[in-house]
Amino acid sequence: METATLIVVLVIVLALFFDFTNGFHDTANAMATPIATGALKPKVAVLLAAVLNLFGAFLSTEVSQTISHGIIREDQIDSDAFLPLIFAGLIGAITWNMFTWLLGLPSSSSHALFGGLIGATIVGAGWMAIDYSVVLSKVILPAVLAPLTAGLIAFTATRLAYAITRRYDTKPDGRDGFRWGQIFTSSLVALAHGTNDAQKTMGVITLTLIIAGWQSSTQTEPQLWVILACGITIALGTYMGGWRIIRTLGKGLTDVKPAQGFSAESSTASTILASSALGFALSTTQVASGSVIGSGLGRRGSKVRWRTAGRIMLGWLFTLPAAGAVGGVMALMVAWLGGVGILIDAVFAVVVILTIFGLSRRNAVTAANAMSEVAESGNAIRVKRNPPPTRRQRAAMRAEARREKEDSK
Amino acid sequence: MSITIDWLAFVQVFVAALIASVLVVGFYSLGLRLLVRAGRVPVVSPAEFTDAITVITPKESQRAAKAAAKAAKKSPLTAGQRKVAAFGAYVSFGMCALAVLGGLLLIIFNR
Repeated sequence: METATLIVVLVIVLALFFDFTNGFHDTANAMATPIATGALKPKVAVLLAAVLNLFGAFLSTEVSQTISHGIIREDQIDSDAFLPLIFAGLIGAITWNMFTWLLGLPSSSSHALFGGLIGATIVGAGWMAIDYSVVLSKVILPAVLAPLTAGLIAFTATRLAYAITRRYDTKPDGRDGFRWGQIFTSSLVALAHGTNDAQKTMGVITLTLIIAGWQSSTQTEPQLWVILACGITIALGTYMGGWRIIRTLGKGLTDVKPAQGFSAESSTASTILASSALGFALSTTQVASGSVIGSGLGRRGSKVRWRTAGRIMLGWLFTLPAAGAVGGVMALMVAWLGGVGILIDAVFAVVVILTIFGLSRRNAVTAANAMSEVAESGNAIRVKRNPPPTRRQRAAMRAEARREKEDSK
Repeated sequence: MSITIDWLAFVQVFVAALIASVLVVGFYSLGLRLLVRAGRVPVVSPAEFTDAITVITPKESQRAAKAAAKAAKKSPLTAGQRKVAAFGAYVSFGMCALAVLGGLLLIIFNR
Protein backbone atom coordinates (compact mmCIF):
# COMPACT_ATOMS: atom_id res chain seq x y z
CA MET A 1 0.00 0.00 0.00
CA GLU A 2 2.82 2.37 0.86
CA THR A 3 4.36 2.11 -2.60
CA ALA A 4 0.94 2.78 -4.16
CA THR A 5 0.57 5.98 -2.11
CA LEU A 6 4.07 7.01 -3.06
CA ILE A 7 3.35 6.51 -6.74
CA VAL A 8 0.06 8.44 -6.53
CA VAL A 9 1.91 11.36 -4.97
CA LEU A 10 4.65 11.13 -7.59
CA VAL A 11 2.07 11.08 -10.40
CA ILE A 12 0.28 14.12 -8.99
CA VAL A 13 3.55 16.04 -8.61
CA LEU A 14 4.62 15.13 -12.13
CA ALA A 15 1.18 16.01 -13.54
CA LEU A 16 1.30 19.40 -11.86
CA PHE A 17 4.81 19.92 -13.20
CA PHE A 18 3.44 19.16 -16.66
CA ASP A 19 0.66 21.68 -16.04
CA PHE A 20 3.25 24.27 -15.06
CA THR A 21 5.32 23.74 -18.21
CA ASN A 22 2.12 23.93 -20.24
CA GLY A 23 1.33 27.37 -18.86
CA PHE A 24 5.00 28.34 -19.11
CA HIS A 25 5.13 27.40 -22.75
CA ASP A 26 1.74 28.72 -23.85
CA THR A 27 1.74 32.28 -22.48
CA ALA A 28 3.03 33.39 -25.83
CA ASN A 29 0.09 31.83 -27.64
CA ALA A 30 -2.45 33.95 -25.86
CA MET A 31 -0.41 37.08 -25.59
CA ALA A 32 1.85 37.14 -28.66
CA THR A 33 -0.63 38.97 -30.87
CA PRO A 34 -1.62 41.76 -28.48
CA ILE A 35 2.01 42.34 -27.57
CA ALA A 36 2.99 42.25 -31.24
CA THR A 37 0.42 44.81 -32.32
CA GLY A 38 1.16 46.88 -29.25
CA ALA A 39 -2.32 46.49 -27.78
CA LEU A 40 -1.02 45.63 -24.33
CA LYS A 41 2.07 46.34 -22.32
CA PRO A 42 3.86 43.03 -21.84
CA LYS A 43 3.73 43.15 -18.03
CA VAL A 44 -0.01 43.73 -18.01
CA ALA A 45 -0.53 41.10 -20.70
CA VAL A 46 1.25 38.38 -18.74
CA LEU A 47 -0.52 39.15 -15.48
CA LEU A 48 -3.89 39.21 -17.22
CA ALA A 49 -3.17 35.90 -18.93
CA ALA A 50 -2.25 34.27 -15.62
CA VAL A 51 -5.39 35.43 -13.81
CA LEU A 52 -7.67 34.42 -16.67
CA ASN A 53 -6.07 30.99 -16.95
CA LEU A 54 -7.02 30.46 -13.32
CA PHE A 55 -10.62 31.52 -13.98
CA GLY A 56 -10.76 29.39 -17.10
CA ALA A 57 -9.95 26.28 -15.08
CA PHE A 58 -13.29 26.63 -13.31
CA LEU A 59 -15.47 27.10 -16.40
CA SER A 60 -16.12 23.51 -17.40
CA THR A 61 -15.02 19.95 -16.63
CA GLU A 62 -15.94 18.19 -19.88
CA VAL A 63 -12.37 17.83 -21.15
CA SER A 64 -11.24 16.44 -17.82
CA GLN A 65 -14.01 13.83 -18.02
CA THR A 66 -12.90 12.82 -21.50
CA ILE A 67 -9.53 11.88 -20.02
CA SER A 68 -10.61 10.41 -16.72
CA HIS A 69 -13.68 8.56 -18.01
CA GLY A 70 -13.15 8.01 -21.70
CA ILE A 71 -9.81 7.24 -23.25
CA ILE A 72 -8.77 4.40 -20.98
CA ARG A 73 -11.10 1.50 -20.28
CA GLU A 74 -10.71 1.16 -16.57
CA ASP A 75 -12.53 -2.20 -16.46
CA GLN A 76 -9.85 -3.75 -18.68
CA ILE A 77 -6.92 -3.03 -16.41
CA ASP A 78 -5.44 -4.06 -13.14
CA SER A 79 -5.19 -1.02 -10.91
CA ASP A 80 -1.94 -1.84 -9.09
CA ALA A 81 -0.13 -2.34 -12.35
CA PHE A 82 -1.67 0.72 -13.92
CA LEU A 83 -0.46 3.47 -11.61
CA PRO A 84 3.18 3.15 -12.68
CA LEU A 85 1.96 3.26 -16.30
CA ILE A 86 0.39 6.70 -15.86
CA PHE A 87 3.67 7.73 -14.34
CA ALA A 88 5.55 6.36 -17.35
CA GLY A 89 3.17 8.11 -19.73
CA LEU A 90 3.71 11.44 -18.02
CA ILE A 91 7.46 11.04 -18.25
CA GLY A 92 7.08 10.31 -21.95
CA ALA A 93 5.04 13.49 -22.43
CA ILE A 94 7.44 15.71 -20.51
CA THR A 95 10.49 14.24 -22.23
CA TRP A 96 9.04 14.76 -25.68
CA ASN A 97 8.05 18.31 -24.79
CA MET A 98 11.56 19.10 -23.64
CA PHE A 99 13.08 17.51 -26.70
CA THR A 100 10.98 19.58 -29.12
CA TRP A 101 11.58 22.69 -27.07
CA LEU A 102 15.35 22.17 -27.28
CA LEU A 103 15.26 21.63 -31.03
CA GLY A 104 12.78 24.44 -31.61
CA LEU A 105 10.32 22.09 -33.31
CA PRO A 106 6.64 22.95 -33.34
CA SER A 107 4.83 20.59 -31.01
CA SER A 108 1.80 20.39 -28.81
CA SER A 109 1.97 19.70 -25.09
CA SER A 110 -1.57 18.31 -25.15
CA HIS A 111 -0.80 15.71 -27.77
CA ALA A 112 2.43 14.85 -26.01
CA LEU A 113 0.32 14.09 -22.93
CA PHE A 114 -2.15 11.90 -24.82
CA GLY A 115 0.62 10.21 -26.77
CA GLY A 116 2.52 9.39 -23.58
CA LEU A 117 -0.56 8.04 -21.80
CA ILE A 118 -1.78 5.98 -24.74
CA GLY A 119 1.68 4.61 -25.53
CA ALA A 120 2.32 3.57 -21.93
CA THR A 121 -1.14 1.99 -21.63
CA ILE A 122 -0.79 -0.03 -24.83
CA VAL A 123 2.63 -1.34 -23.82
CA GLY A 124 1.69 -2.04 -20.22
CA ALA A 125 -1.93 -3.17 -20.42
CA GLY A 126 -2.49 -4.20 -24.03
CA TRP A 127 -4.36 -2.84 -27.03
CA MET A 128 -7.78 -3.49 -25.53
CA ALA A 129 -7.22 -1.05 -22.66
CA ILE A 130 -7.72 1.95 -24.94
CA ASP A 131 -11.16 3.08 -26.07
CA TYR A 132 -10.32 3.90 -29.67
CA SER A 133 -13.62 5.51 -30.56
CA VAL A 134 -13.07 8.09 -27.80
CA VAL A 135 -9.46 8.62 -28.87
CA LEU A 136 -10.56 9.08 -32.47
CA SER A 137 -13.58 11.29 -31.87
CA LYS A 138 -12.28 13.39 -28.97
CA VAL A 139 -8.54 13.65 -29.64
CA ILE A 140 -7.41 12.76 -33.17
CA LEU A 141 -10.26 14.15 -35.25
CA PRO A 142 -10.45 17.41 -33.26
CA ALA A 143 -6.68 17.73 -33.73
CA VAL A 144 -7.17 17.70 -37.49
CA LEU A 145 -10.46 19.57 -37.70
CA ALA A 146 -10.07 22.29 -35.07
CA PRO A 147 -7.16 24.19 -36.70
CA LEU A 148 -9.01 24.03 -40.03
CA THR A 149 -12.22 25.22 -38.37
CA ALA A 150 -10.39 28.03 -36.60
CA GLY A 151 -8.61 29.01 -39.81
CA LEU A 152 -11.82 29.14 -41.81
CA ILE A 153 -13.58 31.16 -39.13
CA ALA A 154 -10.62 33.54 -38.77
CA PHE A 155 -10.60 34.01 -42.56
CA THR A 156 -14.30 34.91 -42.56
CA ALA A 157 -13.96 37.18 -39.54
CA THR A 158 -10.95 39.02 -40.99
CA ARG A 159 -12.78 39.59 -44.27
CA LEU A 160 -15.77 40.87 -42.32
CA ALA A 161 -13.71 43.19 -40.11
CA TYR A 162 -11.93 44.73 -43.10
CA ALA A 163 -15.10 44.99 -45.18
CA ILE A 164 -17.08 46.77 -42.47
CA THR A 165 -14.34 49.29 -41.67
CA ARG A 166 -13.15 49.89 -45.25
CA ARG A 167 -13.42 53.46 -46.53
CA TYR A 168 -12.97 54.55 -50.11
CA ASP A 169 -12.41 58.23 -49.46
CA THR A 170 -8.97 57.77 -47.82
CA LYS A 171 -10.25 59.29 -44.58
CA PRO A 172 -9.23 57.60 -41.30
CA ASP A 173 -11.00 54.26 -41.00
CA GLY A 174 -10.71 53.79 -37.24
CA ARG A 175 -8.98 50.41 -37.51
CA ASP A 176 -6.66 51.59 -34.74
CA GLY A 177 -9.60 50.90 -32.46
CA PHE A 178 -9.05 47.16 -32.91
CA ARG A 179 -6.12 47.59 -30.53
CA TRP A 180 -8.57 48.17 -27.69
CA GLY A 181 -10.56 45.19 -28.86
CA GLN A 182 -7.50 43.00 -28.76
CA ILE A 183 -7.12 43.50 -25.03
CA PHE A 184 -10.53 41.93 -24.78
CA THR A 185 -10.10 39.08 -27.28
CA SER A 186 -6.65 38.07 -26.06
CA SER A 187 -8.12 37.85 -22.57
CA LEU A 188 -10.68 35.45 -23.98
CA VAL A 189 -7.90 33.36 -25.51
CA ALA A 190 -6.19 33.14 -22.11
CA LEU A 191 -9.50 32.11 -20.55
CA ALA A 192 -10.03 29.47 -23.23
CA HIS A 193 -6.50 28.18 -22.64
CA GLY A 194 -7.22 27.70 -18.96
CA THR A 195 -10.50 25.99 -19.77
CA ASN A 196 -8.98 23.43 -22.12
CA ASP A 197 -5.41 22.91 -20.92
CA ALA A 198 -5.76 22.99 -17.14
CA GLN A 199 -8.46 20.35 -17.50
CA LYS A 200 -6.10 17.88 -19.13
CA THR A 201 -4.03 17.72 -15.96
CA MET A 202 -7.20 17.54 -13.89
CA GLY A 203 -8.23 14.55 -15.97
CA VAL A 204 -4.94 12.76 -15.39
CA ILE A 205 -5.02 13.39 -11.63
CA THR A 206 -8.66 12.29 -11.41
CA LEU A 207 -7.84 9.14 -13.37
CA THR A 208 -5.03 8.41 -10.92
CA LEU A 209 -7.27 8.98 -7.89
CA ILE A 210 -9.95 6.69 -9.30
CA ILE A 211 -7.50 3.90 -10.07
CA ALA A 212 -5.90 4.20 -6.65
CA GLY A 213 -9.38 3.93 -5.17
CA TRP A 214 -9.31 7.40 -3.63
CA GLN A 215 -12.26 8.59 -5.67
CA SER A 216 -15.35 6.66 -6.70
CA SER A 217 -15.39 5.93 -10.42
CA THR A 218 -19.03 7.02 -10.60
CA GLN A 219 -18.06 10.55 -9.62
CA THR A 220 -17.18 12.10 -12.94
CA GLU A 221 -16.28 15.63 -11.82
CA PRO A 222 -12.77 16.27 -10.55
CA GLN A 223 -12.55 17.15 -6.87
CA LEU A 224 -12.34 20.80 -5.93
CA TRP A 225 -8.77 20.66 -4.67
CA VAL A 226 -7.72 19.12 -7.98
CA ILE A 227 -9.35 21.94 -9.96
CA LEU A 228 -7.81 24.52 -7.66
CA ALA A 229 -4.33 23.00 -7.78
CA CYS A 230 -4.37 22.71 -11.57
CA GLY A 231 -5.73 26.23 -12.03
CA ILE A 232 -3.15 27.79 -9.73
CA THR A 233 -0.27 25.80 -11.24
CA ILE A 234 -1.14 26.74 -14.81
CA ALA A 235 -1.56 30.39 -13.78
CA LEU A 236 1.84 30.32 -12.07
CA GLY A 237 3.42 28.74 -15.12
CA THR A 238 1.83 31.35 -17.36
CA TYR A 239 3.14 34.15 -15.19
CA MET A 240 6.67 32.79 -14.96
CA GLY A 241 6.82 31.83 -18.62
CA GLY A 242 5.76 35.28 -19.62
CA TRP A 243 8.96 36.83 -18.37
CA ARG A 244 11.03 34.54 -20.49
CA ILE A 245 8.92 35.30 -23.52
CA ILE A 246 9.03 39.03 -23.01
CA ARG A 247 12.78 38.87 -22.90
CA THR A 248 12.98 36.85 -26.09
CA LEU A 249 10.01 38.03 -28.11
CA GLY A 250 11.33 41.15 -29.78
CA LYS A 251 12.80 39.85 -32.98
CA GLY A 252 11.27 38.58 -36.14
CA LEU A 253 7.64 38.91 -35.26
CA THR A 254 5.33 38.63 -38.17
CA ASP A 255 3.33 41.50 -39.50
CA VAL A 256 -0.02 41.14 -37.75
CA LYS A 257 -2.37 44.11 -38.06
CA PRO A 258 -4.76 44.95 -35.21
CA ALA A 259 -7.90 44.10 -37.21
CA GLN A 260 -6.38 40.80 -38.20
CA GLY A 261 -5.21 39.97 -34.68
CA PHE A 262 -8.65 40.78 -33.32
CA SER A 263 -10.32 38.41 -35.78
CA ALA A 264 -7.76 35.65 -35.22
CA GLU A 265 -8.19 35.81 -31.46
CA SER A 266 -11.98 35.84 -31.63
CA SER A 267 -11.82 32.74 -33.77
CA THR A 268 -9.28 30.99 -31.50
CA ALA A 269 -11.23 31.74 -28.34
CA SER A 270 -14.61 30.71 -29.73
CA THR A 271 -13.29 27.49 -31.27
CA ILE A 272 -11.51 26.40 -28.10
CA LEU A 273 -14.39 27.34 -25.82
CA ALA A 274 -17.00 25.59 -27.98
CA SER A 275 -14.80 22.49 -28.20
CA SER A 276 -14.12 22.45 -24.47
CA ALA A 277 -17.84 22.56 -23.77
CA LEU A 278 -18.21 19.32 -25.76
CA GLY A 279 -15.18 17.67 -24.16
CA PHE A 280 -12.78 17.80 -27.12
CA ALA A 281 -9.22 17.89 -25.85
CA LEU A 282 -7.53 20.24 -28.28
CA SER A 283 -4.10 21.64 -28.70
CA THR A 284 -4.49 25.36 -28.09
CA THR A 285 -1.25 26.03 -29.96
CA GLN A 286 -2.55 24.39 -33.10
CA VAL A 287 -5.89 26.18 -33.00
CA ALA A 288 -4.19 29.55 -32.51
CA SER A 289 -1.77 28.82 -35.37
CA GLY A 290 -4.68 27.86 -37.62
CA SER A 291 -6.37 31.15 -36.79
CA VAL A 292 -3.29 33.24 -37.49
CA ILE A 293 -2.82 31.56 -40.87
CA GLY A 294 -6.52 31.88 -41.72
CA SER A 295 -6.64 35.55 -40.78
CA GLY A 296 -3.49 36.21 -42.81
CA LEU A 297 -5.22 34.70 -45.82
CA GLY A 298 -8.19 36.96 -45.14
CA ARG A 299 -6.08 40.00 -45.97
CA ARG A 300 -5.88 41.26 -49.51
CA GLY A 301 -2.94 40.08 -51.61
CA SER A 302 -1.87 37.23 -49.33
CA LYS A 303 -0.34 33.92 -50.29
CA VAL A 304 0.56 30.78 -48.38
CA ARG A 305 4.23 29.91 -48.00
CA TRP A 306 3.72 26.18 -48.29
CA ARG A 307 7.20 25.28 -47.10
CA THR A 308 6.71 27.00 -43.72
CA ALA A 309 3.13 25.81 -43.38
CA GLY A 310 4.21 22.26 -44.20
CA ARG A 311 6.98 22.31 -41.58
CA ILE A 312 4.51 23.41 -38.91
CA MET A 313 2.04 20.66 -39.82
CA LEU A 314 4.74 18.00 -39.93
CA GLY A 315 5.69 18.85 -36.34
CA TRP A 316 2.05 18.42 -35.32
CA LEU A 317 1.80 15.02 -36.99
CA PHE A 318 4.87 13.70 -35.20
CA THR A 319 3.93 14.67 -31.65
CA LEU A 320 1.35 12.00 -30.81
CA PRO A 321 3.25 8.92 -32.04
CA ALA A 322 6.63 10.22 -30.83
CA ALA A 323 5.43 10.93 -27.29
CA GLY A 324 3.63 7.59 -27.46
CA ALA A 325 6.92 5.86 -28.25
CA VAL A 326 8.75 7.52 -25.36
CA GLY A 327 5.85 6.71 -23.01
CA GLY A 328 5.89 3.15 -24.31
CA VAL A 329 9.62 2.72 -23.59
CA MET A 330 9.09 4.06 -20.05
CA ALA A 331 6.25 1.59 -19.60
CA LEU A 332 8.42 -1.25 -20.89
CA MET A 333 10.88 -0.52 -18.08
CA VAL A 334 8.08 -0.98 -15.58
CA ALA A 335 6.73 -4.10 -17.29
CA TRP A 336 10.13 -5.79 -17.48
CA LEU A 337 11.84 -4.65 -14.33
CA GLY A 338 8.95 -3.96 -11.94
CA GLY A 339 9.96 -1.81 -8.97
CA VAL A 340 13.44 -1.21 -10.33
CA GLY A 341 11.87 0.03 -13.55
CA ILE A 342 9.78 2.57 -11.67
CA LEU A 343 12.95 3.75 -9.94
CA ILE A 344 14.77 4.09 -13.27
CA ASP A 345 11.79 6.04 -14.66
CA ALA A 346 11.77 8.34 -11.63
CA VAL A 347 15.49 9.03 -11.92
CA PHE A 348 15.03 9.73 -15.63
CA ALA A 349 12.20 12.16 -14.84
CA VAL A 350 14.36 14.02 -12.33
CA VAL A 351 17.17 14.29 -14.87
CA VAL A 352 14.78 15.66 -17.52
CA ILE A 353 13.25 18.18 -15.12
CA LEU A 354 16.65 19.37 -13.92
CA THR A 355 17.82 19.76 -17.51
CA ILE A 356 14.76 21.87 -18.31
CA PHE A 357 15.42 24.11 -15.34
CA GLY A 358 19.09 24.40 -16.14
CA LEU A 359 18.40 25.37 -19.72
CA SER A 360 15.61 27.80 -18.91
CA ARG A 361 17.90 29.58 -16.47
CA ARG A 362 20.49 30.03 -19.13
CA ASN A 363 17.93 31.94 -21.18
CA ALA A 364 19.67 31.56 -24.48
CA VAL A 365 18.05 33.60 -27.22
CA THR A 366 18.31 31.71 -30.47
CA ALA A 367 16.35 31.62 -33.68
CA ALA A 368 14.60 28.54 -32.35
CA ASN A 369 13.09 30.00 -29.20
CA ALA A 370 12.87 33.69 -29.99
CA MET A 371 9.29 33.45 -31.18
CA SER A 372 6.16 31.77 -30.05
CA GLU A 373 4.94 29.11 -32.42
CA VAL A 374 1.76 31.01 -33.07
CA ALA A 375 3.58 34.15 -34.06
CA GLU A 376 5.84 32.00 -36.19
CA SER A 377 2.91 30.48 -38.01
CA GLY A 378 2.17 33.97 -39.29
CA ASN A 379 5.27 33.48 -41.44
CA ALA A 380 3.36 30.87 -43.39
CA ILE A 381 1.46 33.71 -45.05
CA ARG A 382 3.02 36.32 -47.27
CA VAL A 383 1.09 39.57 -47.58
CA LYS A 384 1.89 42.01 -50.37
CA ARG A 385 2.92 45.47 -49.25
CA ASN A 386 0.58 47.08 -51.77
CA PRO A 387 -2.48 44.86 -51.89
CA PRO A 388 -4.44 44.66 -55.14
CA PRO A 389 -7.54 46.88 -55.39
CA THR A 390 -10.89 45.66 -54.14
CA ARG A 391 -13.73 45.04 -56.57
CA ARG A 392 -15.19 48.45 -55.89
CA GLN A 393 -11.84 50.17 -56.40
CA ARG A 394 -11.39 48.30 -59.69
CA ALA A 395 -14.83 49.45 -60.84
CA ALA A 396 -13.93 53.04 -59.90
CA MET A 397 -10.67 52.76 -61.82
CA ARG A 398 -12.46 51.42 -64.91
CA ALA A 399 -14.99 54.27 -64.74
CA GLU A 400 -12.14 56.76 -64.43
CA ALA A 401 -10.37 55.30 -67.45
CA ARG A 402 -13.57 55.40 -69.50
CA ARG A 403 -14.13 59.03 -68.59
CA GLU A 404 -10.59 59.97 -69.60
CA LYS A 405 -11.05 58.19 -72.91
CA GLU A 406 -14.23 60.10 -73.62
CA ASP A 407 -12.61 63.39 -72.62
CA SER A 408 -9.73 62.86 -75.02
CA LYS A 409 -12.08 62.24 -77.94
CA MET B 1 -15.55 -3.24 -30.87
CA SER B 2 -17.10 -0.77 -33.25
CA ILE B 3 -15.94 2.78 -33.56
CA THR B 4 -18.66 5.37 -33.41
CA ILE B 5 -17.99 9.00 -34.12
CA ASP B 6 -20.33 11.82 -33.31
CA TRP B 7 -19.90 13.90 -36.45
CA LEU B 8 -22.72 16.18 -35.42
CA ALA B 9 -20.57 17.43 -32.52
CA PHE B 10 -17.99 18.77 -34.98
CA VAL B 11 -20.67 20.58 -36.94
CA GLN B 12 -21.95 21.99 -33.65
CA VAL B 13 -18.53 23.33 -32.70
CA PHE B 14 -18.02 24.85 -36.14
CA VAL B 15 -21.42 26.55 -36.24
CA ALA B 16 -21.24 27.78 -32.64
CA ALA B 17 -17.72 29.16 -33.06
CA LEU B 18 -18.56 30.74 -36.42
CA ILE B 19 -21.66 32.46 -35.05
CA ALA B 20 -19.78 33.69 -31.97
CA SER B 21 -16.84 35.06 -33.98
CA VAL B 22 -19.02 36.71 -36.60
CA LEU B 23 -21.15 38.35 -33.91
CA VAL B 24 -18.14 39.59 -31.93
CA VAL B 25 -16.10 40.77 -34.91
CA GLY B 26 -19.11 42.12 -36.78
CA PHE B 27 -20.48 44.16 -33.91
CA TYR B 28 -17.07 45.46 -32.91
CA SER B 29 -16.25 46.53 -36.48
CA LEU B 30 -19.67 48.11 -36.85
CA GLY B 31 -19.07 49.98 -33.60
CA LEU B 32 -15.74 51.31 -34.88
CA ARG B 33 -17.33 52.32 -38.17
CA LEU B 34 -20.09 54.22 -36.41
CA LEU B 35 -17.56 55.82 -34.07
CA VAL B 36 -15.72 57.11 -37.13
CA ARG B 37 -19.00 58.33 -38.59
CA ALA B 38 -19.66 60.14 -35.34
CA GLY B 39 -16.41 62.02 -35.80
CA ARG B 40 -14.61 60.31 -32.94
CA VAL B 41 -11.86 58.49 -34.79
CA PRO B 42 -9.96 56.29 -32.35
CA VAL B 43 -6.22 56.86 -32.49
CA VAL B 44 -4.57 54.22 -30.33
CA SER B 45 -0.82 54.26 -30.43
CA PRO B 46 0.93 51.02 -29.58
CA ALA B 47 1.95 50.58 -25.96
CA GLU B 48 5.61 50.87 -24.99
CA PHE B 49 8.04 48.03 -25.87
CA THR B 50 8.12 46.26 -29.20
CA ASP B 51 11.00 46.71 -31.48
CA ALA B 52 9.28 44.30 -33.80
CA ILE B 53 6.54 46.53 -35.09
CA THR B 54 6.73 50.08 -36.35
CA VAL B 55 6.83 52.10 -33.19
CA ILE B 56 4.96 55.39 -33.32
CA THR B 57 6.53 58.35 -31.55
CA PRO B 58 4.29 60.61 -29.44
CA LYS B 59 4.71 63.29 -32.09
CA GLU B 60 3.46 61.01 -34.83
CA SER B 61 0.61 59.91 -32.65
CA GLN B 62 -0.43 63.53 -32.07
CA ARG B 63 -0.23 64.20 -35.78
CA ALA B 64 -2.50 61.24 -36.47
CA ALA B 65 -4.98 62.47 -33.87
CA LYS B 66 -4.97 65.93 -35.45
CA ALA B 67 -5.55 64.48 -38.92
CA ALA B 68 -8.41 62.43 -37.55
CA ALA B 69 -9.99 65.49 -35.94
CA LYS B 70 -9.63 67.45 -39.18
CA ALA B 71 -11.26 64.70 -41.17
CA ALA B 72 -14.06 64.54 -38.63
CA LYS B 73 -14.74 68.24 -38.99
CA LYS B 74 -15.54 67.79 -42.67
CA SER B 75 -18.17 65.19 -41.79
CA PRO B 76 -21.36 65.75 -43.77
CA LEU B 77 -23.46 64.73 -40.77
CA THR B 78 -25.33 67.17 -38.54
CA ALA B 79 -24.64 67.27 -34.82
CA GLY B 80 -27.79 65.25 -34.14
CA GLN B 81 -26.90 62.58 -36.68
CA ARG B 82 -23.47 62.32 -35.16
CA LYS B 83 -24.98 61.75 -31.74
CA VAL B 84 -27.10 58.95 -33.16
CA ALA B 85 -24.00 57.39 -34.75
CA ALA B 86 -22.06 57.59 -31.48
CA PHE B 87 -24.99 56.03 -29.65
CA GLY B 88 -25.13 53.28 -32.26
CA ALA B 89 -21.41 52.67 -31.80
CA TYR B 90 -21.75 52.15 -28.07
CA VAL B 91 -24.77 49.90 -28.59
CA SER B 92 -22.65 47.81 -30.99
CA PHE B 93 -19.83 47.50 -28.47
CA GLY B 94 -22.40 46.52 -25.88
CA MET B 95 -23.85 43.84 -28.19
CA CYS B 96 -20.35 42.50 -28.71
CA ALA B 97 -19.84 42.17 -24.94
CA LEU B 98 -23.27 40.57 -24.57
CA ALA B 99 -22.41 37.98 -27.23
CA VAL B 100 -19.31 36.97 -25.27
CA LEU B 101 -21.17 36.90 -21.96
CA GLY B 102 -23.95 34.80 -23.49
CA GLY B 103 -21.43 32.33 -24.88
CA LEU B 104 -19.67 31.95 -21.53
CA LEU B 105 -22.96 31.45 -19.68
CA LEU B 106 -23.92 28.77 -22.22
CA ILE B 107 -20.70 26.91 -21.39
CA ILE B 108 -21.01 27.27 -17.63
CA PHE B 109 -24.63 26.11 -17.47
CA ASN B 110 -24.16 23.40 -20.06
CA ARG B 111 -22.79 20.99 -17.46
